[in-house]
Amino acid sequence: MSIAKTTATMPNRGSAALGAVRKVTASFAVILTTLLGLLLITFVVGRMVPADPVIAVIGDQADHETYQRVYKQMGLDQPLHVQFATYLTNVAHLDFGQSHVTKNPVASDLARVFPATLELATLATIIGAGLGIPLGIVSAVRKGSWIDHLARVVGLLGHSTPIFWLGTIVILVFYAKFGLIPGSGRLDVYNEGLVDGPTNSILVDAMLAKEWEVFRDALLHVAAPALILGYAAMAYLSRMSRSFMLEQLRQEYVLTARAKGLGQRAIIWRHAFRNIRVQLLTIIALAYCGLLDGTVLIETVFAWPGLGQYLTSALFFADMNAVLGSVLLIGIISIAINLLSDLTYRFLDPRTR
Amino acid sequence: MGIQRRSFLIISTLMAAALSMPVSAQAATPKDQLVVAMNMSSMRGLDPNELNQLEAAEIVANLYERLIVLPAHDITRPMPGLAESWTVSPDGKTFTFKIRKGVTFHSGNPLTARDVEWSLRRLVKLGLAPSVDLRQWGFTDKNVDGLIKATDDATLVLETPEVWNPNLIFYSLASFSTSILDSKLLAEKDKSGDMGREFLQTADAGSGPYSLRTWRVNDLLIADAFKDYWQGTAKMRRVILRHIPESSGQRLQLEAGDVDVATRLSSTDLAAVEAGGKADIQKTPGFGFYYLALNQKDEILSNPKVREAFRYLIDYDGLAATVMKYYGIEQQTIVPAGLPGASHAAPYKLDIDKAKQLLAEAGYANGFSKVYYATPVTPEYEVAQSLQANAAKAGIKLDLQGGDHIGKFRNREFEIFSARTGERLPDPHAVLASYATNPNNADDAKLSGLIAWRSAWDVPKEIQDMVTEAAHETDQQKRSDLYAKINEAYLKASPALVTSFQRTDAKAVRKEIKGYVGHSTWLTRWDTVSKGE
Repeated sequence: MSIAKTTATMPNRGSAALGAVRKVTASFAVILTTLLGLLLITFVVGRMVPADPVIAVIGDQADHETYQRVYKQMGLDQPLHVQFATYLTNVAHLDFGQSHVTKNPVASDLARVFPATLELATLATIIGAGLGIPLGIVSAVRKGSWIDHLARVVGLLGHSTPIFWLGTIVILVFYAKFGLIPGSGRLDVYNEGLVDGPTNSILVDAMLAKEWEVFRDALLHVAAPALILGYAAMAYLSRMSRSFMLEQLRQEYVLTARAKGLGQRAIIWRHAFRNIRVQLLTIIALAYCGLLDGTVLIETVFAWPGLGQYLTSALFFADMNAVLGSVLLIGIISIAINLLSDLTYRFLDPRTR
Repeated sequence: MGIQRRSFLIISTLMAAALSMPVSAQAATPKDQLVVAMNMSSMRGLDPNELNQLEAAEIVANLYERLIVLPAHDITRPMPGLAESWTVSPDGKTFTFKIRKGVTFHSGNPLTARDVEWSLRRLVKLGLAPSVDLRQWGFTDKNVDGLIKATDDATLVLETPEVWNPNLIFYSLASFSTSILDSKLLAEKDKSGDMGREFLQTADAGSGPYSLRTWRVNDLLIADAFKDYWQGTAKMRRVILRHIPESSGQRLQLEAGDVDVATRLSSTDLAAVEAGGKADIQKTPGFGFYYLALNQKDEILSNPKVREAFRYLIDYDGLAATVMKYYGIEQQTIVPAGLPGASHAAPYKLDIDKAKQLLAEAGYANGFSKVYYATPVTPEYEVAQSLQANAAKAGIKLDLQGGDHIGKFRNREFEIFSARTGERLPDPHAVLASYATNPNNADDAKLSGLIAWRSAWDVPKEIQDMVTEAAHETDQQKRSDLYAKINEAYLKASPALVTSFQRTDAKAVRKEIKGYVGHSTWLTRWDTVSKGE
């Protein structure tokens, strides 16, 4: 019996393992194809941008000989497909090339600018989710009450207010007029240079170095841009969670629960909320991805040296290595966040296991 | 009802608390530090032999030193820098420089004539954009080893292949590109024969009053006063440059006292800062012009009367009082103000009727249409819009297109184009070489460094000969007279390159800052800066 059982289960295990391998391979293939497509489109579009990378390097007054010399040095005399193939080969060797603008290896530039954006986007997401989801749920539960109206007005304002305008107004009022918040940048001049590395996130580095004054200063600097971005995220998340919750509250199981005599709190949190967790996770992940690559306006207003500013400046000067490196990073991060949220679904929703 | 009242009370209390919070004291930069707001977006590394841009030039001016110094207040007078003294041979071709003793690099290495030799040769050999500062006098990577030589540790001999006015050579040796580099340090940092290029992108190898401490591109640069600087340690212990791309951001920080100098402000912000009374506006004249280029390959635009008509369509006075208030000085002639041969003649005024008359004489009484490329930045675009409006009144329909069209201009693929130039030599030759010489007007000559060639303007031979003669002339008075003649001839020639304003670079400097003086060749020094109350 036991032998038979063993022989019967062996092929199953083997096919399960094979299936898992196939699944992982397929996932990798999809990821690689996505990234390759992303790079190809960026490369082609980047080449169609009217900015001339050579002029960006040598200035518009340089003579023809200098132009030709630098044109060759930058490898632009090669056919497009050769340039792209060379780039891909280098990327495969983890060499992302050098930025024509900053003159640094793109990888080291990204290691410097990305943590600044990550810091901002993470805080904004925490603020957005921390405030937006409870607000959305409360306004769904108390539909039609003053709190619901208030939440909807706040949400609508957050949706319709241009973020750069809000940033400028916040700076004008709270910095220039009342002096309640620090100026732009990540630190005051007094604290510049006191903390260096290893993560390039000043908040983390200051904590590691136990430089609490720098930490406090960094926190004060990040507060305004993070709150503004967080407000925009909150507007989106509260509207979405309100509608998810309303949807659940209309379900029959809620009616059943009420009929059973369950309390309001238990119905909301133990039943309805559990059912919207996956949806919430999806929109939080989406909001986070959006914040990671879409903070350029706020970065410009607050002179925040992050990925958005880096990418925009690279685009202006046709700095293709920097553009491709940034796009690749954004692509990888987006995929990673999506994978992570997929994995988390499994814990939250047994049906997806 | 009870809940609503309670919420109302809570909100009211919070708002009252927020409003009663003490307003923090106005910020101020540290007494011994200078904080400058810059837009660093277009900075390309810090290699003096590679960069070509105003902001980076100011940094290099303080990290490095050059043989010659041009004082900001007397820009055409070469003064000793790292060269203590010099002599010029009677034939005008050999320059012998005595190198100052006791100067050390930030690394601690002593600065000698060998470093000067290595640095100047490096500029020519790398052949990048700023190498034109020496290449234009005939130095090439093949002849430079024979022409620039250190005869001992304290003497550098530089021979020019031809005779040039010595000031042209001195001015070139005062440019940021001819900064003297620490050859020993760069030999250690050499990577497969790159002459230290990679190292210099983010580090310094100079002997200037400041040494580089931190540089994070598009973020922050910190330079510390160099303690062993031969002229004494600078008063400002540290200089911090912050990347603040937005003009309004720079203005607010300047007004709040978080920065001492704002370098890139829009005309609206400059006017507001000036009115605020906390800062002075420095308008530093640069050696370049706002110009209008009319492509001479175009049949209509090559008509001299049409070219002249355009001169009557520019609202010189209106622009000078508004958009150009901080960005330029009205200048219709081709030699920049303050240089030999300059003239204040301004024979043209906005005169639509006169323009119409000239167009009619040229056979275009009903006007014509042209595509007009202009850079979409302040103030270039506003100037272009003003011209477009005036041209319309005279019957010329200009299809104004913003965007980056410099590549098309370089390749002569345009009809009308406008932009501005900036030269770094305080000498009429720098401007004239580009605006008024075009030795070969053929398409395949590819003299795209010259804007006269880009405009396909076959500059009258008489003017070109005078420009060449003046560059070689060693007698300063004769030279000045020649430039005055060129100025006149250029104006009469109804040029394809119409100049309207000489460029100025405006910076706002807080009133307590003393000694931060804008430099016409982009070499503003920080070691002269001090802070008052």
